[in-house]
This record gives sequence, structure tokens and C-alpha cells, in this order.
Amino acid sequence: MRDELIKIKDLIKVYGQEIKNEVLHGFSLAIKRGEFVSIIGPSGSGKSTLLNILGTLDTATSGQIIINGEDISDFDEMRLASFRNKNIGFVFQFHHLLPEFSAVENVMMPSWIEKGSAVDDFKERAYNLLDLVGLKGFEEKLITKLSGGQKQRVAVARALMNEPAILMADEPTGNLDSETTMKVYNLLRDINKELNTTFIIVTHDRHLAAKSDRVIEMIDGNIDRDIYKGKKGEDEEWQGLAPVYCRELNSVKVENQ
Amino acid sequence: MKFEIKMAWRFLKSGKSQTFLILLGIIIGVAVQTFLGSLIGGLQQDLVNQTVGNSPHITILGEDQNPRPVIVSDHDITRIITYSGAEEGIKRWRPKLEKLDENQDLTAVSPVIEGSGFAIRGANNQSVILRGVELDRADKIYNIKDRIVEGQKDISGNSILIGVELANELELEPGDSLQIRSAGEVTDRFIINGIFDLESGELNKSWIFMSQQRAGTFLGIENEISSIELQVKEVFEADKISSTLNNEIDGIKAENWQRNNQQLLTALQSQSSSSIVIQVFVIIAVTLGIASVLAVSVVQKSRQIGILKAMGATNRSVALVFLLQGAILGVIGSILGSLSGIGLSQLFVNLIRTADGDPLFPVQIEPIFILISIFIATMAGMIAALIPARNSAKLSPIEVIRNA
Repeated sequence: MRDELIKIKDLIKVYGQEIKNEVLHGFSLAIKRGEFVSIIGPSGSGKSTLLNILGTLDTATSGQIIINGEDISDFDEMRLASFRNKNIGFVFQFHHLLPEFSAVENVMMPSWIEKGSAVDDFKERAYNLLDLVGLKGFEEKLITKLSGGQKQRVAVARALMNEPAILMADEPTGNLDSETTMKVYNLLRDINKELNTTFIIVTHDRHLAAKSDRVIEMIDGNIDRDIYKGKKGEDEEWQGLAPVYCRELNSVKVENQ
Repeated sequence: MKFEIKMAWRFLKSGKSQTFLILLGIIIGVAVQTFLGSLIGGLQQDLVNQTVGNSPHITILGEDQNPRPVIVSDHDITRIITYSGAEEGIKRWRPKLEKLDENQDLTAVSPVIEGSGFAIRGANNQSVILRGVELDRADKIYNIKDRIVEGQKDISGNSILIGVELANELELEPGDSLQIRSAGEVTDRFIINGIFDLESGELNKSWIFMSQQRAGTFLGIENEISSIELQVKEVFEADKISSTLNNEIDGIKAENWQRNNQQLLTALQSQSSSSIVIQVFVIIAVTLGIASVLAVSVVQKSRQIGILKAMGATNRSVALVFLLQGAILGVIGSILGSLSGIGLSQLFVNLIRTADGDPLFPVQIEPIFILISIFIATMAGMIAALIPARNSAKLSPIEVIRNA
């Protein structure tokens, strides 16, 4: 039995001071170590807000959040930053790499932030990570010289730099064509298996979500469905995640590849 | 290298044209400051030099001795001249002189026996001031020896030195004898040994140097001297030193040059203030320049800031990146600016000359002044970076990431 890496309880998030807008209505959730979780749902359902709170980029209005055994609910800015640096890696829809730096420097950046100094101590690890994401030979290239898919893979390598327990991704493939999407997705999946890193991915792409271990569907600030692959009774529901034409389209694509 | 320094440096390097423009702004600002500062410093030094370079900074007189107008009849003409009466000179002056000789603040100490009289040649006569001095001591103030234009620089015995204007007026040459009548109606003949040019029409016309003993006997002054003239190391300290001397030595009254040159001092003061005003505005302009460029830079780099924060960079650390950018701009800009300023002032010295081909006045470059302007520019850079740094600290990573 895998231990619970993330545990949230009665999570409520309200935006705005005067005109209050409650976007998360108070639900609880637990995610196990090594799980590959997708969060889906329509725009405004609160899925990104949930991810930002889990990623400690945003704070909850009320509720308890325990990540990796630490209750982060009342951490201050400095502690949150340090916690984030050590435990969480991010991949965003737009790669958000620093164009002023080379690929390997971007990958080393989390370790620079951790140490407070820009040293090359971890260059070897950064090289290995770039190799892992299939960018051998591109290490010293400036970010601006890389293609969209390559940039996103650098971003994945960077997210893994500090060996985080959790990798969070918000529409990581939203900006990529379908072929590159599959490559990046497969890469994430491989890392998940190889390093036992927990993945939480927010996506619009239902058939991408269907390839996860677990899908959480959010509607209007609540968890509408929380289904596991291969779990008795839920398989049918699982099949329904991606509409038929989607699956067909997907299989056609895969055949074409 | 510290993480923040690396980030700051790389951000500056990546925004080449922006960095270049703001750097140019700082360079011009600091260059103007350095140039203006050294120009005005040199000009003031020159003015002060001209005023007090070859004149006493402090004059020690006998107590209660005030120059008073005395009517001297000169044949049929009656004229009023200013006459510093020798009756109330400095008594028991030798111990006082010894004490002054020991004073470290002073660079020249010259006792003087002074009196007025008339130089007479045929029908011509000129009112003159007779100055009995020890030539070596007086030389330290007036630089007489180097300013002898004709004849010898010896004043022993009956020899005297007169100024060029008096020599022209009375058509005298070295070797001629000259009849002088003192205010006490004593008349005597002296040998002109040399002719000096003290670069002052007034002194060249009226001053006559002779030995102290000769002046004493001629003017009938015994056991006292008229005044002791002093020069000090720091000319602007003369007022303080003179009041110390007033307290330390009994029976004297010390007067400083500042008291007699209020107008010049006021002029120097207002010159300094206007130069400071200009420099303050230059600093403000430079500061605003840095601030606006960095403010734009924070907006431009908001994505980078957001992702740095998402990766665990603290607000403090991100703010420091912008402070350091300001500081780096300040340091590099002010060093280059100072060098340009020095170059500019050298150019000025070499290009703008008087009719004789001499520099208009010496330009003074003070290392301390340059260090100060480097310090100020660096501070200004950091202050300018404060608001952008604060804005960067406030930036929320989520918004940046969502609105990419």
C-alpha cells in the first residue's frame, strides 16, 4: 500500500475582498506517492486553482493541506518558497524558460535557487536530465534556438532537477501539436515509472487524461468524479471519459505515426 | 557567483540596447559631474590662490592696534593716507615668534617692521610703504626671490628692493640711490639692489623691502615689530587658527584673510552651491533614468520573475536581482563616466588656453571627489531600483503563468 503524499481537507478558496467569489467549495482529497493523476473539467471549474494551491503557488482560504508529511497551511512566503523548491516541479502550458540562459542553465536553475549561488556543481545531473528528455547535444544552446517541443522538454528536465516528490503540470501540451503532445506525454509517463515521481496534470484533453492512473473531474468548484483505472465498476465510466470519436481519432493518429 | 548576481548580470546583458542606453545616460551624467566638479574646483583653487597665494593668511598685530587715518603733510599738499601706527606694535615679540615657529599649522612666519614714507627723486615723489623683513622668511609668503626682475635679491645694510612700477615712475635702476623720507620726517638715502614684480600694481608701486634692522633704525622703532605675517597649510582653516592664536598668545590680535575677503568667500560659496544644485539635478535625472528602465524591465521580465518564484526563489531574492541591476549599472556607469569626465577636463585644459598659450586655469581632479560620485551613482542606482524591486517582489507567479 502506497503512502499518501498529498492530503487535503475541507479546502475552500475564495477570491476577492468585497465581492467574494468562492471557487473551491470545501472538499477533501488524497493523492498517493507515485500516482499519475489528471484533473479535468470545464473552464472555471477550479482545476487550475486546485493545482496552484497544491503547488503552493496560491494559498487556501481555509482547510488543511499536508504535503510530504508537512502541514503547509500556515507556512510563510519564505518557507513556502523553500518547500516548493525542494518538493515540487512545475511544467506549464507555456514553457516559461528564461530566454537569457542556455538549456542546461535553465535546467540547473532550481539547484541555483536552492544553493543561493550559480555554480556548475550539478551540471552533470542537468546533462543527464536533458539526455533523459531526449535533448542530448542541445545542452548549451540558448532557449531561443529551440523548437516548441524541445522547450517543453527542457521545462520537464528543469522540473525534475531538484528530484521533487511531485511534478505538477498545467496544460503541459496545450501549446503543442498532437504529435509532440504524445511525445511529451510519453516522456512524463516514463519518468513517472522510472523515478516514481507523483504527477498531477491539469488538462482539457480528455483522451490524454484517459491515459492516467486516476482522473479527477471538477465541476463548479467541487470534485464531480474521482475514478481509477482498472478499478471494478469504474472501468465503464473510464471508457466514457474520452468520447468515441476522440478515441477513434487518436487511434488513427497512432497508426499514422 | 551568487545566484542573484548571475541573474542580474544576465538580465542586463540580454537587454543590450536598453542597458547600453541607460549606461550612456549614467556615463554622461557622471562625466558632467566630474567635469563640472573639477572645473569649479580648479577655478576656485585658482581664485583663492590669486587672492591669498602670495599674501599672508593671518596677520598678527599688536593689541588694540587699529589702522587709523593720519594726516601727513607733504609740502603744500595735504593728503590722508592709511597709516598703521608703529607705536602700538608687538612688544616682546621674540618669544612669540618662537612659539609661532613651532606651530605645525603654519607654513610661513614672517615678522615685519612697517611704516610709510615718501620716495623722492628730484621733483617726483611717491608715497611708499617701507617693509623691514627677514628676506628668507618673507620669501615664503611673497616668493620675492623668484620675482626679482632686475638686479640682486640682497637687502643687507643699506640695500633695498623696490617694485617695477615705482622704478618706472621714478626712472630707477638697480645701483641707483633713492632718497626716502619717513613719516617721522627722517630722510635717508638707500641703494636700490633689485627690482621685484609681485604681480600686483598696488604692491609694485608702493612696497619697499629692506632689512629689519635698517627699517627699525630708520623708522625709529625699537624692541618691537609692527606685525607678524603668517601663512597656513589649509587656507580655509585660517579663521580657526587665528582665533586659536588669539587665545594662546597674549598681547596680540590675529586677523585672517577670510575676514577681509568676505565678498570673495560669498562668491565662492554661491558658486559651490550652484554647482551642487546642478549636480543634484544630474543625479536626480540619472536616478529617474535608471528607475524607468528598470521599471520597464520588471514588466518585461515578469514571466521570468514568475517562473523563478514558482521554482522557489523568494520575493527577497527576486527583489535583490533588480537592486543589483541598479547597482551594477551605477558602478559601471560611474566608473566610465568619471573616466570620461577626466578626459573631458583634460581636453578642456589642452584646448582652451589664454593668449599666452597657458591653460585658463588649472583643472583640479580630486580622487576623493570621483570616489564620492561613484558611490553616489551606485546608491542612486540602488535607490532607483527600489520601486521596480518592490514591484517584482509583489508579482504573483500565478498571474504571470496564467497570462503568459
